Amino acid sequence: MSRFEESAPARGGFSYDLCKRNEMLMQKGLKPSSYLKTGTTIVGLVFQDGVILGADTRATEGPIVADKNCEKIHYMAPNIYCCGAGTAADTEAVTDMVSSQLKLHRFHTGRESRVVTALTLLKSHLFSYQGHVSAALVLGGVDVTGPHLHTIYPHGSTDTLPFATMGSGSLAAMAIFESKYREGLTRDEGVKLVAEAICSGIFNDLGSGSNVDVCVITKGKREYLRNYMLPNPRTYVSEKGYSFSKKTEVLLTKITPLRELVEVIEGGDAMEE
Amino acid sequence: MGDSQYSFSLTTFSPSGKLVQIEHALTAVGSGQTSLGIKASNGVVIATEKKLPSILVDEASVQKIQTLTPNIGVVYSGMGPDSRVLVRKSRKQAEQYYRLYKEPIPVTQLVRETATVMQEFTQSGGVRPFGVSLLVAGYDDKGPQLYQVDPSGSYFSWKASAMGKNVSNAKTFLEKRYTEEMELDDAVHTAILTLKEGFEGQISGKNIEIGMIGNDRIFKVLSPSEVEDYLQEAE
Repeated sequence: MSRFEESAPARGGFSYDLCKRNEMLMQKGLKPSSYLKTGTTIVGLVFQDGVILGADTRATEGPIVADKNCEKIHYMAPNIYCCGAGTAADTEAVTDMVSSQLKLHRFHTGRESRVVTALTLLKSHLFSYQGHVSAALVLGGVDVTGPHLHTIYPHGSTDTLPFATMGSGSLAAMAIFESKYREGLTRDEGVKLVAEAICSGIFNDLGSGSNVDVCVITKGKREYLRNYMLPNPRTYVSEKGYSFSKKTEVLLTKITPLRELVEVIEGGDAMEE
Repeated sequence: MGDSQYSFSLTTFSPSGKLVQIEHALTAVGSGQTSLGIKASNGVVIATEKKLPSILVDEASVQKIQTLTPNIGVVYSGMGPDSRVLVRKSRKQAEQYYRLYKEPIPVTQLVRETATVMQEFTQSGGVRPFGVSLLVAGYDDKGPQLYQVDPSGSYFSWKASAMGKNVSNAKTFLEKRYTEEMELDDAVHTAILTLKEGFEGQISGKNIEIGMIGNDRIFKVLSPSEVEDYLQEAE
């Protein structure tokens, strides 16, 4: 457990100790490992009772679809959710870490977390890594001060907006928002608009695809609508099914257990004085 | 007594094989306000006196029973500020465990880690032991559990226990009253009666605190009005 604590930099800022070594290795021909870039469409908007967040579900590794149904809307607090674009590991780790910090903060203060708290924790972390943590986030939630929606860029700058889009499909989604958004949308209108914007990203951007995830956050309640729309179902399934041709002879059927069941003996660690 | 020459340094054993500072810490606990805990068949209850130094103190701002995780709570006897430090450390450790293993920390693990912290302060230079004993109440997959942690860092699992001022009377009372099949509500009544035994003055919802956890696995501290309801039932 103590190694886990030591891994966080003690004094702020990125530790550049290994940069010289990396440069030397690259000169010698070592290719840096490729990371999973999400190439995404993520959106958020404020409606009359709260905020709605939306995201597509395709994770890409260069030209290959690595995950057809990944989750890009991350939990931060019961009343705050965050969509992440950029490097998947970065968005996961940073939202997980801030979610943990918010939980401790809730214990200490006895109050519901505020969206600006999550915002400040995220942007300070990203700024101290000078953009090397490639996470572009859309943060939304409802707290005592009302509904809030923010965007956070990898270098640590933020915007506060009534509607926002990020990721490679952001222009396609923004086109929908700019033409159809108005203040005081109802829940159903808002969800429909978000789904439309994500679909626009899914169909017009290569980096986005598969399904639509939506999350509606209102005062005291949140609905995480995983796979709200599935506009890309797999339509071709072979009628013949997958079975062996009649000429195949089954020679032997044998079941080999891969692992022996291990018995756990109850004993524990009795404390002796 | 020969021990007095060895009582100033924490990290030196006395000839009788004791660490005198820890004995003194236990004395500090023994002069603290009474607290107790009872493990029932379907939950755990912990309770404590909340005697404030003056009637001018705003009792609503004082909370002795704290939540460490949604399913683990703690009460202390002894020095309040020391308990605050331990509560903070325990909460952080529970959260770190969750981040590493994505599993809520089991009660035994949290107790062990808190006890380790307390033990570290009995073997380091320039620090003193914590002047508190903790009663940790939790409900996890192993069922309801109650642990006591002492300033030395030793911990025990109890079916029912008391600490602080009135400890011997309270323990005798609990020994008589405790049954294994006791349910949570009975346990709360027994806890109230035990506190009443050694209570100076009029017991009310404002000068005791009760925390409990049941099958729902959510630890909660009762509000003064809820405590009053239980008090009236126990009459």
